[in-house]
Amino acid sequence: MDGEEFYGAAYKGSKQFTQQEVKTANATGFGAAADDYMERGIDLNEQLIHNKPATYFFRMKGDAMRDAGIFDGDVLIVDRSLKLVSGKVIVAVLNGELLIRRFYQNFSARFLIPENSRYKNINLGEFTDFSLWGVVTYIIHAV
Amino acid sequence: MEMKAIVDCNNFYCSCERLFKPHLDKKPVVVLSNNDGCIISRSDEAKKLGVEMAGPYFMAKPLIQEHNVSVFSSNYNLYGDLSWRVMETLKMLFGKKNVEVYSVDEAFVDLSIFPVEELDDIASQVRETVETWTGIKVSVGIGPTKVLAKLANRLAKKNKQQTNCITVLNTDEKIIEALYKTPVGDIWGVGFQYAQKLKTLWGIETALQLRNMNEDFAKTYFGGVTGVRLIRELKGVASKKMEDELVNKKMIATTRMFGSPVGDINDIKEAVATYTSRAAEKLRRQQSAAKVVSVFIVTKDQDHMLNFKKHGTITNHVTLPVATSFTNELIKPAVELVDTLYEKGQLYKKAGVMLSGIVPDESIQGNLFVTENKNCERKLMDMIDNINFSQRDDVLKFAASGTTRDWKMRQELRSPRYTTRWDELYGIS
Repeated sequence: MDGEEFYGAAYKGSKQFTQQEVKTANATGFGAAADDYMERGIDLNEQLIHNKPATYFFRMKGDAMRDAGIFDGDVLIVDRSLKLVSGKVIVAVLNGELLIRRFYQNFSARFLIPENSRYKNINLGEFTDFSLWGVVTYIIHAV
Repeated sequence: MEMKAIVDCNNFYCSCERLFKPHLDKKPVVVLSNNDGCIISRSDEAKKLGVEMAGPYFMAKPLIQEHNVSVFSSNYNLYGDLSWRVMETLKMLFGKKNVEVYSVDEAFVDLSIFPVEELDDIASQVRETVETWTGIKVSVGIGPTKVLAKLANRLAKKNKQQTNCITVLNTDEKIIEALYKTPVGDIWGVGFQYAQKLKTLWGIETALQLRNMNEDFAKTYFGGVTGVRLIRELKGVASKKMEDELVNKKMIATTRMFGSPVGDINDIKEAVATYTSRAAEKLRRQQSAAKVVSVFIVTKDQDHMLNFKKHGTITNHVTLPVATSFTNELIKPAVELVDTLYEKGQLYKKAGVMLSGIVPDESIQGNLFVTENKNCERKLMDMIDNINFSQRDDVLKFAASGTTRDWKMRQELRSPRYTTRWDELYGIS
């Protein structure tokens, strides 16, 4: 796995190609005009993963987050390096169990809020056993 | 000033298991070796209960059941991925060239560029960042040399509440206090026998006493050059340099216990062929070729645990005319060796393949002096490795490995491979 980097300084830009990698750069000269515009294809990792060692994947089970557009079977991309911010969808640790909810905070209280009226809000009291596991950054949903 | 840290994951395998099972925090957890034979990782709570490290699982079972200890088969896919994450985090923090990965769960970091008085802050930043990003708790030991950093790490781990998993030896007073608190047997690189020798012959009990010995003493009585280096390291003079990671292995082995005892020679041959494929894959991954193939099998009645040093195993080897990394060229002699070892009527419980006489693989670059044919085979091997790597689970294998039986390890209590398989992701609601 070493040496495989999709982010940060490791992204080489579009100019770092050898002749072998650009198939049109043969001796006929025909493809040469297009070579100047050759660049790396779109890579989902660049867009979806900002911090690879801190990024984990989960799979959504059930409909608790339906109104946020997160459906049963969707893949969740979770970044552990992000801070706990009000309004974000998070993976929470509540009483030792992992749970996906939207986190809300005002100056007097904190809540875990489902995106489905059939589920109840969870009030995070002072003595509730709660911590952040990671922040959900993207959803992969099959159409 | 030269300063080195060792960053070491706390009870690494147990921490990996807890990442997706937070209800096991502060509960006793153990992880078993291949085939669920022995205990290879224990959480602090399990240690407190008196569960023995490297003890056979069946012996610890009553204790484990009585205290409701959570038991896991080893999940090397998960541990390997989390280990990569921890190391990658360190490399992102300090730069690739300043991190030396020492083992699956520990790395040395060169901190020489930082002011000595900032090292406490840096240590806690490292610990917090690694834990936040990867979910794995680490201990940090810092000192002027690798041996002192290791010594600091041991003290950090010993009393986690007090040290917060961090010990920094950045002044002479702190170094001397740490040396005084460390028995010689707990110094990195001092084995049990040397520790006994130092105690009984010269009355050296602590690392501090050992440090005050002179180099002539070490040269004659304490392992020669190695001993001299160790004493220098204790004095704060760096004698073990940061090393490049990943040294190619001199010997590659794949051995497994069978799920249940096996009597048929064809079954054993299939198993040996499977292990050979696995070993050949490892061989190609480090771009080497092997010249010697050894095979061993162990009979069911042989009490492997008690007298493996006696004639517990039956083994034989063959030397090939040319070193090779091609699975087909290795399987043939390996399977033939089984014929020389197998005894009809016996039941066998374990087999293994070892490849040695390892040299760099010359077939990797299309060599002018190698026949065309060889280059084709090389391509075939690369393709098999690529397909098996991307599809996982050995989609392609040699017919000699059999098509029905699965010769993989026994792992009854393995947790899902949450971070490496799409179909085993954690389902969250």
